[in-house]
This record gives sequence, structure tokens and C-alpha cells, in this order.
Amino acid sequence: MDVQEAVAESTPGASAEDNGDAKRDGQRKFTMGPNDSLEGKLVFDGSVHVDGRAEGEFKVTGNLDVAQGATARISIEAANVTVKGQVEGSVTVRDKLTLGKNARLSGDIVVRRLQIDDGASLNGHVRMGDIEQHGSGG
Amino acid sequence: MSSTGPAARNRTAAPAGNGSDGAHSSIVLGPRDRLVGQLYIEGDLRVAGTVEGGLEVTGSVEIDDGGRVTGPVTARDRLVVGRSGSLMGDVHVARLVVQDGATFSGKVSMGKQVEAPPKAVEQVHEAEPAIKPIEAVKAPEAAKPAAAIKPPPASRPGQSTRPPETKGKRR
Repeated sequence: MDVQEAVAESTPGASAEDNGDAKRDGQRKFTMGPNDSLEGKLVFDGSVHVDGRAEGEFKVTGNLDVAQGATARISIEAANVTVKGQVEGSVTVRDKLTLGKNARLSGDIVVRRLQIDDGASLNGHVRMGDIEQHGSGG
Repeated sequence: MSSTGPAARNRTAAPAGNGSDGAHSSIVLGPRDRLVGQLYIEGDLRVAGTVEGGLEVTGSVEIDDGGRVTGPVTARDRLVVGRSGSLMGDVHVARLVVQDGATFSGKVSMGKQVEAPPKAVEQVHEAEPAIKPIEAVKAPEAAKPAAAIKPPPASRPGQSTRPPETKGKRR
């Protein structure tokens, strides 16, 4: 089993092609496997599937989902976010955040729509409302 | 009058008798109901009306059907915010369900926080001996600054000593 270790440094195109960039219905997708790990900042035009271990900052134009069993210490900014694994960090979601039954999220949330399934664990502050396209913090 | 048999049936007539048999109360606040203040109940609560204040429930809380709660909520079992429910306040619950369409803003605390205090105590004990060696190291160093403090006043006399020397030479 090859363990891919990617350090993305704000180079969405190049890193994405090396790490399972796949096109589905015309949308680019960055897919990590259960043995993959990523440390750094990822800015990606498309959707991201996080598995294995991730650490850093993820800014995604599309959807981001964290697989069950995945451990992510990341700040997230995406259109829709689905968490089934473990996430530690702030989450900014332009539309909807879904926490699955096995999800564990520790961090502050800014979201428009929120769905938390029974069994999910959440610790943090939740703020609902319209999200500005460009964060004030930069 | 054998009251044991009929008394068991008179649950609606004696709501205050809840809890003695382990049975818990189940309260429903309808769409036209409104509660302002603090509520503690041993049982479940369903809110379809308006609540302004704190809720503490040993069982579950369900906010739905246009129910609006403004204030902190503590539920030892489960809190459900339905798709037409609204909750503005901090939440301390064991389980949390938020359905799509619900409105919720506040701080969420889930799980046990009992393990945290002992760790903090251990860190304090570890920190105390760590400070003592530093103080012990500082002590000999403190003697040096004390000696170092002397030269500055000595430098002033040093400047003042030259004039006497010059004075001596002049004389």
C-alpha cells in the first residue's frame, strides 16, 4: 500500500492532478484515500474528498466531505460540507453543513443550513445566516 | 375505600405525583403557548410555542412545528431542533439532532467534561517544581547583577575620581 503524502502549497491545479483529480459530470474532484495524508493549505476549484489524515487550511469552491475514519485538523471553507469522520477546526459553509451519525466536530461553525444526525458530536459555536463570499479575515 | 387501585389511574388528576414511581413527566407547549422564565422538568419537553428563558430537562427536548426557544438549553438526553424549529441559545446536551431547515445559533457543548479538571491539577503540580530550579538558577545570577549594579555608581565616582586626580595633578 503506497502512502501518499502531499504538501499542497496553494497550487490547486498541480497538486490536484497528482492526487486523484477526477472529473465527474464536468466538476473537478480531489480525492484522498484512507492512507493518504495532507499537510498545508489547499485552494481547490472543485470538490474535495478528505480521507486519511489532513492538517491545515482547505478552501474549496465546491463541496467537501470528510470520510468516516478520517482525522482532519483543518479550517474549512466550502459550499457544502459533509462530515462523517473527525474534524477539529473552524468550518465556514456557504450553504449546508451535514454532520453524520459518527461525526465528531470540534470548532466554530458559520453556516446557512445545518443538519446534525443523531449520534454526532459537536463542540463549538454555531452561527447561522448568510455567509459573505470573501471572508473578512482573509 | 380502597384507594390504591383507582389512584393509579388518576394520573391526570395528580400531575404533581410524577417522579415517585420513576415515571417522568411529558410537557407539551402548543403553538399558542408561551413561557417566559426558567423551566426545570424531570422528563421530556416538546416545544411548538414560544419559550423565552432557560430550559433544563432530564430527558429530551424537541423544538418543532414552529416552536421558538430563546435561551440556554440543557438536556441530559437529547435535543432535537426540527425543520420548522428555532433555537437561539447555548446548548449543553448529550445528544443533538438538528434537522435540515432548522434555525440554530449558539454554543454547543456535548460529552463529558469531567476529565478535564484532574489534568489541569496535574499540570499545576508539574509546573511547581519546574519553577523552583529556575529560581535556584536565578539566585546565583542575582548576585552578579548585584555586583553589576555597583559599577554604575562606581562609574559615577570614577568620573568624579578623575577630577580629584586631575586636581591632585593640578595641585
